[in-house]
Amino acid sequence: MNKKIGIYICHCGGNISDYVDVEKVKQSVENEDGVFLVKTTMFACGDANQKEMVDDIKKNELDGVVVASCSPKLHLITFRAAIELSDMGCPVTLIEREHFIGGRVAQWNLLFTTSETGKEVVTKLYNELIERDNITLLTGSEVIASAGSIGDFKLKIKKTPRYIKEECHKGKLQEAINVCPVVVADSFNFDITERKAIYHNFPSEYPQEPVIDIKNCTRCGECEKICPSVDFSMKEETIEINVGSVLMATGFDSYTPSEGEFGYNHFENVVTLPQFKRIIELNDKKLIFKGKEIKNIAYIYCVGSRQIKGENKYCSRYCCTSAIFAAIHTKSKFENINNYHFTRGIRTYGKQEVLYAESLKKGDIYLQSYEDDPPVVNQVNNKILVRINDILTAKKEMSVEADLIVLVTGMVPRADNSVASLFKLPKGRDRFFNEIHMKLRPVETVIDGITICGACQGPKNIMESVNSALSAAAKSFSYVSKGELELEPIIAKIEKDICTWCRACAEACPFDAIKMVKDEKKDVAAINNSVCKGCGMCLPVCPSDAINLIAYSNREIESMIDALAG
Amino acid sequence: MPEKIINASYDALVIGGGIAGGEAALNLANNGFKVLIVEKDLSIGGKMILLSKVFPTLDCSACITTPKVSEISRHPGITIFTGSEVKSIKRKSETIFEAEVIKTPRYVIGEDCTGCQLCEQACPVLVHDQFQYNLVGRKAAYIPFSIASPRVAAIDIENCTLCGACEKVCPTKCIDFTQKSEEYHLDIKTVIIATGFKLFDPLMIPRYGYGIYKNIITSMQMERQLAPTRPYNTILRPGDGKVPDRIAYVLCTGSRDVTVGNPICSQICCMYSIKQAQLLMGALPMADVTIYYINIRSFGKGFEEFYDQAKGMGVNFVKGKIGKIREKEDGNLILRYEDINENIVKEAEHDMVVLSVGVLPNTDSAAFFPDGELKLDPFSFVYQSDPLSSPSKTSIEGVFVAGTATGPMDIPDSILSAGASSAEAISYLNRKL
Repeated sequence: MNKKIGIYICHCGGNISDYVDVEKVKQSVENEDGVFLVKTTMFACGDANQKEMVDDIKKNELDGVVVASCSPKLHLITFRAAIELSDMGCPVTLIEREHFIGGRVAQWNLLFTTSETGKEVVTKLYNELIERDNITLLTGSEVIASAGSIGDFKLKIKKTPRYIKEECHKGKLQEAINVCPVVVADSFNFDITERKAIYHNFPSEYPQEPVIDIKNCTRCGECEKICPSVDFSMKEETIEINVGSVLMATGFDSYTPSEGEFGYNHFENVVTLPQFKRIIELNDKKLIFKGKEIKNIAYIYCVGSRQIKGENKYCSRYCCTSAIFAAIHTKSKFENINNYHFTRGIRTYGKQEVLYAESLKKGDIYLQSYEDDPPVVNQVNNKILVRINDILTAKKEMSVEADLIVLVTGMVPRADNSVASLFKLPKGRDRFFNEIHMKLRPVETVIDGITICGACQGPKNIMESVNSALSAAAKSFSYVSKGELELEPIIAKIEKDICTWCRACAEACPFDAIKMVKDEKKDVAAINNSVCKGCGMCLPVCPSDAINLIAYSNREIESMIDALAG
Repeated sequence: MPEKIINASYDALVIGGGIAGGEAALNLANNGFKVLIVEKDLSIGGKMILLSKVFPTLDCSACITTPKVSEISRHPGITIFTGSEVKSIKRKSETIFEAEVIKTPRYVIGEDCTGCQLCEQACPVLVHDQFQYNLVGRKAAYIPFSIASPRVAAIDIENCTLCGACEKVCPTKCIDFTQKSEEYHLDIKTVIIATGFKLFDPLMIPRYGYGIYKNIITSMQMERQLAPTRPYNTILRPGDGKVPDRIAYVLCTGSRDVTVGNPICSQICCMYSIKQAQLLMGALPMADVTIYYINIRSFGKGFEEFYDQAKGMGVNFVKGKIGKIREKEDGNLILRYEDINENIVKEAEHDMVVLSVGVLPNTDSAAFFPDGELKLDPFSFVYQSDPLSSPSKTSIEGVFVAGTATGPMDIPDSILSAGASSAEAISYLNRKL
């Protein structure tokens, strides 16, 4: 007796039907033996269609159903496994590479849209943080090794000491700083100022304890003589912690212009936007840079973003608003400031538009060029000129004599992203970390248990970063709070009898899911079910065919080929 | 007056069943909380479920939305009221709000309806189909759209003539004209406002001639023409059903425009217009597509590359704002604009014009609460009391906001905002319980 088979061919909106003529597929299979009914459907995943399939099966007593649709990996999770995760409540360890926390926001003064200062925002969050006793803060610390998987990551953390036991006696710290002979560029101020090898936090950074920059310290011992709290005997420690989920919030670097890019490093009054913001904050009443009062400021946009020749094709999103906000702030803080903006088209999206309107009202001048004809910075008789063929005035050539040129630099991925390679986090073509799916799973990575948020994922402003951070927190929490884990339905399976542990599979696995275990007599490969993604990379390398993919075993694949060939 | 009052209690009330509300509800329910979604429309899925493909990945919007909608509607922790409206939310005690919700009758017994559409065929009344943005008609007895959730018929009682034709053909006898609206009095611990946005109505700009000239449509109408659940099987201009071959996009229609009272940028129009242009070039390979813009704002992840791709495909970008549109006898349209590159006023002829309409606030939410309690920002979006550190906090403790209720944003940002508001709501519930 012939079997009764139902066939459903899904358009998937257009994801499939734009490439495959589903009606033709229907016609070609409907007269096959055993095919009882063939239907095309716009969305096989839709509730109504699934209901229809169930009804068809019941009504027609179908023996089998073929659903031609997208991969079941996208929509189906067929079985669950319970893994005991950590106990209820969610203790958190916060790991910061620097000795102070606050990140980039601490380096900024006034913030759009609330006109809070970076200090206020960081202080508010720090106070909330230290209130909670289930949060451990590790500063000067870096993850150096990671093992395990979701629910049970084992992290090795290198913690460098501050070399100062506690707060120096009142006044002594400043004395100790004064006697330190080592002078280095202060990275907090983006190298526009200098600091000593022993230094204090900025008011917007926490914790408020000084630190010795041991890389640059010459161990001359001068500070030790003044401040008894200095303690060079403190040792680097390695800490091991177990966590259920890792949330990556490693941030961004500001783009560093290349040598001579718009006069950077060739002319001394060319600075980047982050440097400019520090200059605004470090000056009072008059805006002075390198001993000269600044009146005319030229802002050159899209430096390091939307590059034609370079590899940063993307827009950095925050810089238009940030530069305009800084320009307005400068005008209100200092007198006689003239702002000239050399743009590639202003992108103050959303409500930020009102800021652009405000700056126009305040008399800022906007000029624009396209990517193929950027402005040029050069020196004529001791004067620095910015020249542009302004498309807003029919490509008229315009020149501005600038006391200060601000390069509106974009965001780039962290130069030192070694922590990401520890976790094998994938990056996009923009070199920022990649989420699984921008809309469906925007803070999850292909590595289960590791979420990403903030600007390590791509340029974002503060509000957008916080939104993604809270989303990632909710996701990380749900990994550990449920106490159980939904696994990929399709994973690899080892035939222990056949396996000879040649290591080939373990080496081929991109997710570190295969380890050696001792079986009764011999060593065999074992799959960590919560790490395996079912990618199948291990299958072809196995010399003894000891690995099968559940639902895609060799036998099943062979029978499919037979059916097709037959 | 509703006949019966029903009492119930939920941990969280999510107002709005679009992508933001749905995402927030799922997060809450996955953490073990009991959630009620109140949706004004007959289906959940919001505007996203009606879109074609989404930028910058060009994956089919409905294909992303339907599995999510399906997950929401099957979740044991989530209850959904469609065709329902929040009447008021008052604080009852420190930890409890009392919400009044009115569920208007569908005149169809949802559990019995099989979605067979026989009632639709029998109904003699033809009206504009709001889910196809008036491009085509629908009946007074109708299924909202093919992938609606729930996929259950409803009677549009305002247009229904009570002829009874639908009742006669219904095989399961699920049409029930005696249904009354129900009033719910609910005890709620936390509220998430995800009421979304409204589209700008281009009738406000008479010089563009929308509503008078037939071959001018809005971007949402074009979105429907490009969607898999589209009304026609190709792109047609409404005036005479001709397949267009010179299509113009007018960006910033109702955005960045103080003359219509909306000074802000809508944040999504550049990208959806660029996306539609790319889809049109696929659907109509011979057509020319021109986008008239002030600034192209392709600021998100992968957006600039998407803009470059459109330029590479041959989409024509012209920097210049459209001043006026007039119609020729053959239905073609003359666009008058300032060409910024050449610094002269020009005219161009197109056979179809798409107005890229902007995002306006949905101001319904303020009325849920006692006078002035829920603050709105200067643009009438829901005011965020701590936008930098806690973007989903509103002026009321325990009431959070998600998605475009706070301002214009695209789908990824809406989903992140929904994630943030559910995280805040979860930690609020954990602290209060």
